Amino acid sequence: MDEEILQDFLVEADELLVQLDEQLISLEAAPQDTDLLNAIFRGFHTIKGGAGFLGVTPLVSVCHLAENVFDRIRNQQIDYDPSVADAILNAFDVVRDMISALQQGERELEEPPASLLTSLEAIYRGDVSESADDSTGSEPSSTESEASDADLTTLALPDDLDPDGDITDDEFEALLAQRDNLGSATKSNEPASSVSLALPEGVDPDGEITDDEFEALLAQRDSLDSATKSNESASAVNLALPEGVDPDGEITDEEFEALLAQRDQTVLAADNSMPTTSVKPKVDQTEPPNSVSKPVSKTAPTVSKSVAKADTAPKHKLAPTAAAPESTVRVDTRRLDEIMNLVGELVLVRNRLLTIRSQDAETEALANAVSNLDHVTTDLQAAVMKTRMQPVKKVFGRFPRVVRDLSRKLGKQIDLELRGEDTDLDKNLVEALSDPLVHLVRNSVDHGIEMPEDRANQGKDKTGKIILAAEQEGDHILLSILDDGKGMDPDLLRRKAVEKGLMDELAAQQLEDSKAFMLIMAAGFSTAEQVSDISGRGVGMDVVKNMITKLNGSIEIDSRLGEGTRILIRVPLTLAILPTLMVSFDGDSYAIPLTSVQEIFDYNADNVNFIDNRKMVRLRDKSVPLLFLSNWLKPDAMVDDFTGYKVVMVSFGNQRVGFVVEQVNGQEEVVIKPLGVKLSNLQGYAGATITGNGSIALILDVPGVVERFE
Amino acid sequence: MKEADRAMLEDADYDEDNRLHNTVRFVVFSLEGERYGLTVSRIREVLRVGEIRDVPGSAAEVLGVINVRGIIITVLSARRLFQLPDKPHQDQARIIVVELDESHAIGLLVDQVQEVQDIPEHLFEPLSNYNNSRGAKGISSIAHYRDQVIIQVDLESLFE
Repeated sequence: MDEEILQDFLVEADELLVQLDEQLISLEAAPQDTDLLNAIFRGFHTIKGGAGFLGVTPLVSVCHLAENVFDRIRNQQIDYDPSVADAILNAFDVVRDMISALQQGERELEEPPASLLTSLEAIYRGDVSESADDSTGSEPSSTESEASDADLTTLALPDDLDPDGDITDDEFEALLAQRDNLGSATKSNEPASSVSLALPEGVDPDGEITDDEFEALLAQRDSLDSATKSNESASAVNLALPEGVDPDGEITDEEFEALLAQRDQTVLAADNSMPTTSVKPKVDQTEPPNSVSKPVSKTAPTVSKSVAKADTAPKHKLAPTAAAPESTVRVDTRRLDEIMNLVGELVLVRNRLLTIRSQDAETEALANAVSNLDHVTTDLQAAVMKTRMQPVKKVFGRFPRVVRDLSRKLGKQIDLELRGEDTDLDKNLVEALSDPLVHLVRNSVDHGIEMPEDRANQGKDKTGKIILAAEQEGDHILLSILDDGKGMDPDLLRRKAVEKGLMDELAAQQLEDSKAFMLIMAAGFSTAEQVSDISGRGVGMDVVKNMITKLNGSIEIDSRLGEGTRILIRVPLTLAILPTLMVSFDGDSYAIPLTSVQEIFDYNADNVNFIDNRKMVRLRDKSVPLLFLSNWLKPDAMVDDFTGYKVVMVSFGNQRVGFVVEQVNGQEEVVIKPLGVKLSNLQGYAGATITGNGSIALILDVPGVVERFE
Repeated sequence: MKEADRAMLEDADYDEDNRLHNTVRFVVFSLEGERYGLTVSRIREVLRVGEIRDVPGSAAEVLGVINVRGIIITVLSARRLFQLPDKPHQDQARIIVVELDESHAIGLLVDQVQEVQDIPEHLFEPLSNYNNSRGAKGISSIAHYRDQVIIQVDLESLFE
């Protein structure tokens, strides 16, 4: 197996899987959507093609069957009902597992489960009811024999293809298609009408076949193919000859191009509709593009309105490439990380120069050069960051499936709405957010949304709603998970907290509602009476919180009993560069992530009280606990006079704490570097960085500091 | 055999040792007058001691972190690791940057780096043959070589 081709294939397959996942779910809402059906068909087909080229037979056989099923669905021979959906989703899972096995370096894949093949085969043969009940595979033998029947059918290479030469993708496709054809003909006991392909006139049969000619042949074959299958040749071969065109006239190159363009348009329309969750096609495919004034059809009779319908996949590979010249380059993320690191270094050098300039601005020229460098660096930083940006869709894409599977399992009716999927964020963040979000969404499905009858009793719509939204808010990304389920009861949470010994009764009573909700994030706090295998609110919520905190993000919960719950997650746009507030003590600098800083004010002993054995500062009629960083960081120094010190008010989750620091040095964007060996797990630090004057500053992890201090 | 005779004999054997036996190249450093050997293969570089940034709250043997061309490296005190008394470091003090794996390195502050020596492998005797009052953590074997005792540092157990 050629490793390089395999890697390319895996990357492509990965993207296709993401799309397929989304499309398969959308399809359930709109089972008749031709564009969607075609897109899915092509998805499976492309994976099959690649797998066939690489000789991954098990993958080919699953994709092949799935593709066959979709071929029948789009020809309206069977319906995409939930039981078919289950089988197809199963097949999709198997394909995904196979791809991930390949990604993990496995090269010999196991055969797909026989039960899956049987059920797909049954659906394909129109025997849907059987497949629905019989997913365990009572008829594996018949499947095998049929499959071998199909395999035995001799496949003929097209005349003009060199049988000794390397097989190309297109040829492989053609062979597979041929086999499909013969296979289905044999199975349905229809005489296999030989598919004879006619070369367009004016084409030298001995010359090299061009892509276009091959396309035309395929299109021709498609029409015959579908005609054979449906026995409705008249309707399938839909010749749309625009008026004023002499059907006997010679086709010119231009006309042929126009036809291809028309077809591309249609294919593109289908492609365009792929990434959106909306199932509405964006381009009306029945309208030929305005620029094509004289579409002529003679030598390629099937290039017509029905193209999208009769479209088999070999075209789509060529079509988009022909339509839009390649404008993207695949880059190894490690290379991007390297560039990001270097840019980080550059940012530090810039910071250093800025510091020097501010200390001694003797030459104006130097000052100008430095400020120029400052601008360029800022732009470069933004540009490099953009290369690492990915739409949050990458994470969101899996949720329709998650929600569908879960709600089917639980017997709930849930409508998932995705908003702001095009919001971009750092690739690493996209990956890191995936697990916490899955957990939260599962929670909403499992514990948030009630059973349909309960909802009806409360006068709510039977179908629950979950909204997953993302939006950019300054240099942050705001993610929210909103459900209209039963919400949480703050009193119940308070009681639980007391029961579990997390706090005494008095403290629980004084707890604000918003803080009571945060209790579910505490380790070992679960209110679910029985922890289901899906989720238990509280089990793992602390893990979610830790993961978000690690990303320098924050999490907030808001809930109304009977009305629903909203969880807000704020994460920075990127992980690599962090805006911080630099503070110092005794010459050592510390960086506090700016996201958690709320305000800074002078320390005034008159406003500080001793409450509950700790110092609190009065701030606008509220008491906020103080944390004397100097005492924590330098216990030997024994400072007790804090005159001239500053209080940096920080917030995380729903908590607020005032850090008392000796000096505030201002804002600085820093590059987070991991603390060295033996220090990476040290609580209270998020990392280190090099400051403008070249020394090392430690980046404080606010929740960690508070936890360690208490 | 007297000690002096033995040393003479070993000197005479020196060239032969190198020819006949596999040798290992060591960086020899000193601590409290004793000589320690670290295999060269694991050493990335030897640095003069610059500013070491204290990390409050870290373990006792951690002196802090240094910036080596943009990478933050933890510096441990060899004295504290070998349970020797602290001493303010002198001019000859060096930080030996040791590779733990491909992407991790750690600095070891020593009193002085003496030399690079090729020592025949067979001369090292496992430490279990000796009574080690300090506990054998970070030390794997001892070699008597050319009138010196060289303690071989075992990085795995030292930094575990």
